[in-house]
Formats: sequence, C-alpha cells, structure tokens
Amino acid sequence: MFCDEALDAIEAIAADELTPDGRVAAHLASCPNCAAALVSARSLEQMLRRRAVPAAPSQFTSRTMARVRRARWRNDQFLDAGFNVAIGLVVFTVVAGVWLLLNRSGLVAVSNDAVDLMGSGLVTVVRRVTPSLPLYAGATAVLATALGIWWWAERDAAL
Amino acid sequence: MEDVHERELVERCRSGDERAFQELVDRHKDLVFALIARTVQDRSRAEDLAQEVFLRVHRGLPYFRGEARLSTWIYRIVANVCLQDHGRTAKTAPLDEERSADALAAADRQFTDLEVRDRLEKAIARLPANYRLLVAAHYLRGVQYEELAEALQLPLGTVKTQLYRAKQQLRRLLETDLR
Repeated sequence: MFCDEALDAIEAIAADELTPDGRVAAHLASCPNCAAALVSARSLEQMLRRRAVPAAPSQFTSRTMARVRRARWRNDQFLDAGFNVAIGLVVFTVVAGVWLLLNRSGLVAVSNDAVDLMGSGLVTVVRRVTPSLPLYAGATAVLATALGIWWWAERDAAL
Repeated sequence: MEDVHERELVERCRSGDERAFQELVDRHKDLVFALIARTVQDRSRAEDLAQEVFLRVHRGLPYFRGEARLSTWIYRIVANVCLQDHGRTAKTAPLDEERSADALAAADRQFTDLEVRDRLEKAIARLPANYRLLVAAHYLRGVQYEELAEALQLPLGTVKTQLYRAKQQLRRLLETDLR
C-alpha cells in the first residue's frame, strides 16, 4: 500500500463516505504522514460543517420584488415602444397605399379639391372663433383648476 | 405533497400572480443567499447576485418544464450566475500543487480558533470558482450530491471527485500558503 493510494481515499474517509478496508486501515495505523492527513481532513470536514450559514437580509424579498417589478416595467416599456413603432409603420403603409391608389386612379385631383374645401372651411371657423378666444381660455382654466383640486383631494384621500 | 405545492406555486407564478412569486422568493432566499454569500464572500455583492438569480427565475419560469425539482433548477441558475460573476472578477491565485508531508502532518494544529476560521474563508476564496461553489453548496443543509450533479449537469462521480480535490486543495492552502 502506497501513501498516494491512501491519500486518495482520505477525503472520503474523513467525510464518513468510505469505511477504510483492512489494507487502508493498516496503512493509516502504521504511516504517521497519512494518519496526520486523516486528522487534518477530519478537522477540515468539521470546520466546513460548522461554517456559519449567512442569512439573507431582512428586506431581501421586498427589494427583490421591487427589482422584478422594475425589470417587468422596463420590459413592458420596450414592448409598448415596439408596438407603437409597428402601429406607426402600419399607418404609414396604409397612407402610402391610399395615396398610391389615388395617384394611379386619377382621383388625386378630386382629393386636392376636397383638401381645398376643408382648408377654406377651417379658415372660416378660425375667424369666427378668434374673438371669443379669451372666454374659451378662461373657461378652460377654471375647468382645469377644478379638476386639479379634485385630483389633489382624491390623492390625499387615497393616502 | 411538497411537490404538489411546488407545482401549484410554479403555475401561480406563471399566471402572473405576484404573491406566488413572493412566496417562491421567501422559500428559497436563504439557501440562495447563503450559497452565493459563501461563494463570493461579499454581502452586498451576494445580495445583488441573489436578486439577479430571482430575476432570472422570474424570466425563466414560463420555460421551466418541471423535469427537475424547482430547487435544482434554481441551483443551476445560482451556479451560472456565480461562475459568470467569477469570469468578470479577478482570477484566482495559482495553487501550489506540490504535496508537503510535513505540512500535512501539522494539520491538526490549525483548527482551533477564530483565526483558523478566517484562514478557512481566505483559503476557500482562493479556490477555483467551480470548487468554491461545490464546497459552498455541499455543506449547506439538504443539498445532496445527486442534486448538485443535476444542477451542475455533471456526472455524480465527477461531483464527488471535484469536491475531494477541492478539499485537498483547501488543506494544502491552510497548511502552506496561508500559514
């Protein structure tokens, strides 16, 4: 029996995972180096078993959940942005398709007349509304203030 | 019974139940944190990495097929996170491969006080990352060789051999380099 052979089994013996057979036991009894190695391995085994188990911080779960929510929010934002880009592309494609169709079918001239008509109608509306603009602005401000007060009161009630 | 509850919990998490995921974190946080804290030996870094593990669990749950136990799957994620983190941090110091008989003989003198425990932690910190993880996991309650082998996707014999080698290196470090 050589020391190397015994030393290979030392860790398993120290961990009580291997019972030394007659040859190994005899060698361990007669070889001081291997016997010392076994003592050392047993000591290490005990130290490792007694090693402190670090406990998770008390706020660990809440902090982890906050991080998970943040990650999910970022993911949702990314998905939203992708969805908006896709919708934009679809709208662009539809508009471009309609324009192409009108252009090819000769209906552009008709649609130009429609745009002119809408433009002149818009100018008429603006001219009529302009004198009453301060009144509309005042009414909008009063409404916004009322809504603001209502929102503030609701928020405080929720807290 | 436990398995049934675990499956139910996973299903609830998959359906977007935040409380279920919180329960999952609560159930596994101590083991995950202890395993990582023993491996990286820096509490704030350990917490960051443990949170990263649960983030990956959250992202991966829809793909978790339930072939392994949930805890085994989580250990696998812990192993990946620890090994990736090790790749980003400094390399381990080279180990003295020569065996010193005199040093081995002096072993039993070295395990008596707090200084020795400190040396043990330092020695563990100098082990290669995969050995460190094995030592950390094996000596935590309830983590069996079989579960480790499954988590690390290694044959059972390889896990045992690597753990024995890790302990041999630890003894050498304690008896020579860190004396």
